Amino acid sequence: MSEKDKTVDVPPPLQHLPTAKQKKYDRQLRLWGATGQMALEESHVLLINNGPGVTGVETLKNLVLPGLGDFTILDTAIVSEADLGVNFFLEDASLGKFRAEETVRLLMELNPEVRGHALMEPIETVCMEQDALAKYNLIITAAPIDPAILARIHTQAQALNIPAFYLHSLAYFSSFSVQLPPAFPIVETHPDPTSTTDLRLLKPWPELSRFAKEKTAGFEEGTMSAHDKAHIPWLCLLLHYLEKWKQDHDGKVPEAFKEKTAFRETVRAGDYNEENFDEACAAVLKSLNPPTPPSDVRAVLTAPETQTLQHDSSDFWIIAKAINVFYAKYGQLPLPGAVPDMKAVSADYITLQNVYKTKARQDSAEVLATVRELEKPLGRTGPAVSEKEVENFCKGAAHIHLVRGRPQHTARAAGEEIRFGDRAQALANELANEESLVGLHLAFLAWDEYIATHHSSADKAGGQALHITGTSESDLEADTEKLTGIAHHLLDTLITEAGTFLEDPDYTAVKTRIANFCTELCRAGGGELHNIASLTGGLLAQEVIKVLVRQYVPVDNTCLFDGIASRTQVLRL
Amino acid sequence: MQRRGRDSGISQSLGKPLTKRVKESRVLLVGAGGIGCEVLKNLVCCGFGSKQSGLDSAAPDVRSGPAATAFRQPGIVVIDLDTIDLSNLNRQFLFRKQHIKKPKAFVAKETASQFNPSVNIEAHHASIFDSKYNVNFFEGFDLVFNALDNLAARRHVNKMCLAADVPLIESGTTGFNGQVQAIKKGVTECYDCNPKPVQKSFPICTIRSTPSQPIHCIVWAKSYLFPELFGTSEEDSTDVGVTESDNAEEVAKLKVEAEALKSVRRMMGKSEFAQEVFDKVFQDDIERLKSMTEMWQSRTPPESLRYEALKAEMDADIIKRGQALATQDQATWSLHDNLAVFCYSLDTLSSRAQSGEPVIEFDKDDKDTLDFVASAANLRSHAFGIPLHSEWEIKQMAGNIIPAIATSNALTASLCVMEAFKIMRSQPQEQNGLSKPTANNNLPTTTQTAISGKVEPTLGGAKMVFLNSRSTERMITTQGLVAPRPECPVCSPVYAKLAVAADSSATLQELVLLLQEKVGYDEFSITTDAGVIYDPDLEDNLPKQLTEYASAAHGNSFITVTDESDEAKVDLALSLTVTPTTSGGAATLDIIPQHISLPLKPQKAAEADGAVDGDADSAPVPASAGAKRKRDAEEEVESAKKRAKAGKAEVQEIDDDGVINLEDD
Repeated sequence: MSEKDKTVDVPPPLQHLPTAKQKKYDRQLRLWGATGQMALEESHVLLINNGPGVTGVETLKNLVLPGLGDFTILDTAIVSEADLGVNFFLEDASLGKFRAEETVRLLMELNPEVRGHALMEPIETVCMEQDALAKYNLIITAAPIDPAILARIHTQAQALNIPAFYLHSLAYFSSFSVQLPPAFPIVETHPDPTSTTDLRLLKPWPELSRFAKEKTAGFEEGTMSAHDKAHIPWLCLLLHYLEKWKQDHDGKVPEAFKEKTAFRETVRAGDYNEENFDEACAAVLKSLNPPTPPSDVRAVLTAPETQTLQHDSSDFWIIAKAINVFYAKYGQLPLPGAVPDMKAVSADYITLQNVYKTKARQDSAEVLATVRELEKPLGRTGPAVSEKEVENFCKGAAHIHLVRGRPQHTARAAGEEIRFGDRAQALANELANEESLVGLHLAFLAWDEYIATHHSSADKAGGQALHITGTSESDLEADTEKLTGIAHHLLDTLITEAGTFLEDPDYTAVKTRIANFCTELCRAGGGELHNIASLTGGLLAQEVIKVLVRQYVPVDNTCLFDGIASRTQVLRL
Repeated sequence: MQRRGRDSGISQSLGKPLTKRVKESRVLLVGAGGIGCEVLKNLVCCGFGSKQSGLDSAAPDVRSGPAATAFRQPGIVVIDLDTIDLSNLNRQFLFRKQHIKKPKAFVAKETASQFNPSVNIEAHHASIFDSKYNVNFFEGFDLVFNALDNLAARRHVNKMCLAADVPLIESGTTGFNGQVQAIKKGVTECYDCNPKPVQKSFPICTIRSTPSQPIHCIVWAKSYLFPELFGTSEEDSTDVGVTESDNAEEVAKLKVEAEALKSVRRMMGKSEFAQEVFDKVFQDDIERLKSMTEMWQSRTPPESLRYEALKAEMDADIIKRGQALATQDQATWSLHDNLAVFCYSLDTLSSRAQSGEPVIEFDKDDKDTLDFVASAANLRSHAFGIPLHSEWEIKQMAGNIIPAIATSNALTASLCVMEAFKIMRSQPQEQNGLSKPTANNNLPTTTQTAISGKVEPTLGGAKMVFLNSRSTERMITTQGLVAPRPECPVCSPVYAKLAVAADSSATLQELVLLLQEKVGYDEFSITTDAGVIYDPDLEDNLPKQLTEYASAAHGNSFITVTDESDEAKVDLALSLTVTPTTSGGAATLDIIPQHISLPLKPQKAAEADGAVDGDADSAPVPASAGAKRKRDAEEEVESAKKRAKAGKAEVQEIDDDGVINLEDD
């Protein structure tokens, strides 16, 4: 609330100001940086809005504010009284006008740098055109929608490698799922700052060993001053004791937990008081790990895209292959080069930083040379892989991540059965867990299935062709029963496909939970609660940003929210 | 499509009784920033306080005392002291470019009202610490939302809500993380049940003589050098303080040093100004420090810098070079680069100072001041062998910048309103519109029991909610609310009011008698913010008039009565309210409510001897326990990691637009 008031009103000369844009986006640039911001500003998001359409608009609000390039809202609805009560981006004067135009207009007020477009054509006709979706970088579709049309959108998106989101928001519940391209690699995953950085203590290179030797010479013999001993960087202490350990253990380093704790004791015995020894002891367990890349990284290095490069392989795969060559040769990933903060005299710390930086540059240079070798036979037409990109990749090599996008798991056109396929087993395992929201997913699937099978006549007022459960008081009970019936049928399909059997009382319990979800969804009558829409819009926008800026690891691939328990769960479907 | 009125969606989802309660509610929103804008939108769209009371003419006056609660007008009250800044616009969506420099509260009301003109929003551009926001004011609400960015205001609202016995929803975000906590006197932990870290203040000698980290040099440039040259001096800065670890002699020498700098300041505008400043702070002062050999026995001594030598290695137009470099804020400048930016920024700032800006304050968004602080900090870092940083990084450290994004605010605000629904559902409806007893002496362990006798979950199932939208598995997680900490100095007292008539001549003596009679105290003490005013051995103040204390207390602080007997009762916290002049016989001094019964303080576990002032947290640990403490610390790290894995990170914020500590425990 209280950023210090400026007492100075005279603005500094214009040319010295940071650009207004940089200033406006300062707080987010500190998360995803200039490259992320540029990616966001070059993106065009399509929202196919249906139903009350609040969540989609709230999502866009959270994308317009941070400076998305373009957005398009496709929506044929006319603004009604009910819209005014729940959608913040409509006003009294909007009544009777196209909802697409009105929401676009009011959203654009949020950020003059963002371009908004309204489309009032029905989606059925739009997605009949070849490559109608090609100009968008990402598509968000809001339920309810005819599952046959939804499938068409998702098939097109898949063919075009466009990430596609599909969302539900009803009363206290919501869910969204994302269909990413079959290979969606992320270099900048922003790993947890407390996650360990590779310091190569188990396999030091000569310069590092030499430095450690220099810094530790004579401290055990007592020829070093107390001051110098207290300022030996802990990295050097560990390297020193590791050398000794190896001499006593046939050249082996401590591996098992017990060995490591024993090793820690030998370090501890070096000094019981000094802070640098404390730091060294504290680092033993997490810093002495063999440089095996995590499974996520191995998945990238061994992916078919890495193994067999094509002329149209993206930079990512070429660098991945070069890294794999490096890994095959040295049994390690390139050195990231960062050194954690530690007790040391400044000069030593700087030298140590330089030892690591130099080695990291060497590694990166070697990877770059391999990249150049790999590029040659491919006959690529675009620009060569940039040095900067190789450097970044090497720095984050231990944390790269590959998402294998999967087709959306949604209801099918009327007559087609929903199948769970290779996910049946995993989902069935969730059923007995009363905390799990898998039942909510089944209820939403059933809700879509109901829509697929209950088209009401298209000539109804407002042209609304879809019949939504629970929209009229008199149908409520019957609708609830039908919806629950569909959901229970899906449950049985799931159990059968998984080839398992759910015993009572678990079976009855999960049926009751699903029935409760169905009752709530029906009671909502297709209505959104603004607060849940806003929350879901926040979650969804966050994932959209991750996908567009290609940073952080996005949800894979379905997120369910239960507003009563205030809880999310992610399922891979 | 039937059932489609303007409000149909709300009542369909919330149910009729809760919808009614939500519409009739009167809620307070403290803060109209990132979370505040979003909360306001959600409140408006969910119909909070939207019932047209038809009693507009009888709008309760905040100062009219307890009667204010008798007619609680539905509505939303927004209080914010701040004005709108450009860097707010990436997330505070109720504000536009044309609103920059306008009060947030007013603009938020204006924009939100456009959406729903029938909503009742009252906007105050004011500080929540203002005396008019007293306990009576807080009692006028069904619910309070904290959407604040600083610890002091959070703690204040927490206390006021405890005193007024109004549920509070506390929230905060930083980057991708957020946290929401529901607080209710006697039912849950309060905001202060868990001690919060206080703002870090650096010892003056570390900053001025023995820096060892980049931040020390940045604070030196920002809070010492810059103000000495262009603004008010260090005495005003909270970043630096004389601490016990500071050497008095050295502190005295530093004063002399600062005086000498003041004389350099007089050279401003002359061409040799930059060199004068440089020679003074990077050569002479460093040489002086270096000569104090005892200071460098366990540290590497600094190396002074030579202006002439550096300049000789550079092109003629050093200022032009600095100007060009200043645009490259992501790069780490070399020593020469820093000198160039230093000269350039001094030149620019000097001409600003000479053309009518007598005082220039450091502002992270004022590029000239940032250029100066970044280059000066780097030059000093170089002298002390500390790694240099880019201007971009220095900006973050110097400006205590907390990353903030629209999505986290939207999520956190929605979670706040979700918790609000739960709390409103759990409140007995009769409460609204009736004045309620204010001595909230619920025992801390009381679980709420519904009229039916069935045990309801705490606060209608409200939870502590954690947001980590960066996570890919557990974005929103919850934890059950915890019962109040019995020793918490903030929420363990019973809160009541002490009404003093404006014309009362009642003395402290009379209060002492009143307390003895009403509460049955034997030995006790009375404390105000300023300290103890009465205890069994301190009777000097007894003849003093209470109105003296009342005016000093600004109307919204408390006097605390502490039982000093062996079987002590819990503290009694009295908020002073000055009531209008009484006509005739009414008592001029009164405690509200009439009946106060204080439970006994919880029995403390056998305490270590000599624990001073009840501050057990900082009790010194015997040296022999050092090794054990370290082991414990390691275990703590381990368990903290486990908790971090569970996706729960506690967000804690420090002071005004301050550093956030994101603690994984």
